[in-house]
Amino acid sequence: MTEIFSSLYGQPDSQGPAGPSALGFGSGKPQVPQNMGPMCFPHQMMEEGAPVRKPAAMNEPFYLLRELPMENELTGHTNLITHYNLEHAYNKFCGKKVKEKLSNFLPELPGMIDSPGIQDNSSLRSLIEKPPVCNNSFSPLTGAMLTGFRLHTGPLPEQYRLMHIQPPKKKNKHKHKHHRPQDPLPPETPSDSDHKKKKKKKDDDPDRKKKKKDKKKKKNRHSPDHPGMTGAQPSTSSLR
Amino acid sequence: MAEKFDNLEEHLEKFVENIRQLGIIVSDFQPSSQTGLNQKLNFMITGLQDIEKCRQQLHDINVPLEVFEYIDQGRNPQLYTKECLERALAKNEQVKGKIDTLTKFKSLLISELGKVFPEEMAKYKAIHGDDPPS
Repeated sequence: MTEIFSSLYGQPDSQGPAGPSALGFGSGKPQVPQNMGPMCFPHQMMEEGAPVRKPAAMNEPFYLLRELPMENELTGHTNLITHYNLEHAYNKFCGKKVKEKLSNFLPELPGMIDSPGIQDNSSLRSLIEKPPVCNNSFSPLTGAMLTGFRLHTGPLPEQYRLMHIQPPKKKNKHKHKHHRPQDPLPPETPSDSDHKKKKKKKDDDPDRKKKKKDKKKKKNRHSPDHPGMTGAQPSTSSLR
Repeated sequence: MAEKFDNLEEHLEKFVENIRQLGIIVSDFQPSSQTGLNQKLNFMITGLQDIEKCRQQLHDINVPLEVFEYIDQGRNPQLYTKECLERALAKNEQVKGKIDTLTKFKSLLISELGKVFPEEMAKYKAIHGDDPPS
């Protein structure tokens, strides 16, 4: 090891093999005499004109030494989510379970929107791939044009009534709260978790419920407890 | 920034509501509903014009195509955002691990080389300077 290192860095070593041939650079290549100073690669020796390396580095034993790469200000070493102020977004989307269905994202949108768009040819992909052939501008319909929209009286046939069918909404009454330890940043505040504990306690046995009711009645006489504490959270507005 | 989206959102909500009402009129059509239907049809065109106007404000907004795939599959597009953030964090941690490991390796290598080749390493440090502690 010492021998190889010495030969690498051009130190005089009478015992060890000298020059690039010892390192497998090829025996046929010209060897550098030791009194010439630091060793160079054969291709560097053959080059004419300006040397590749700095003159200062030429005098040093490290002939393969380069300048250290410029240190980037922003690398993967920094937490990029914090750097770009995305903690809020991270906590919002990764801290709690995001509901799977599209209707949970757009609850006010009428129709069955959870079914794949390919089924009824309503996919956005098809809109991009085959854009509809139409004019660039939208002009209002004139009286003559509106005559084309005179409809027959009576209800629509069954197959066209899909628009009014809404996906069934799940009731969250008996939903068990799972504790997920893998959540990186729990979004709940301590007050929120207390509030859920209270709710869980209320869903116990009917006998216990009765007892608690009696207790509550007694309590209510003394302290007014707010009944809306266990209520559901306000629903978010549509298209958000 | 948010106003642009609010404006579009408002127009889209109005448009969707108009279409819903149009659907109700059409689902059980009566002759007396013809005037209302014509009105709704023209509202629809006005709505499309309004949405078209919003396009100018949003020309610099890019939406990843993957989001459309989520929507086409009837999935919540927020899942895409969630997965993106999780992937970014995982990759960030991976790269950080690599950088930390290589930094440790470098300092260890320098210290070990310094023991075996003190003179050479002294010269090396003279050129590059001492490494900051990892």
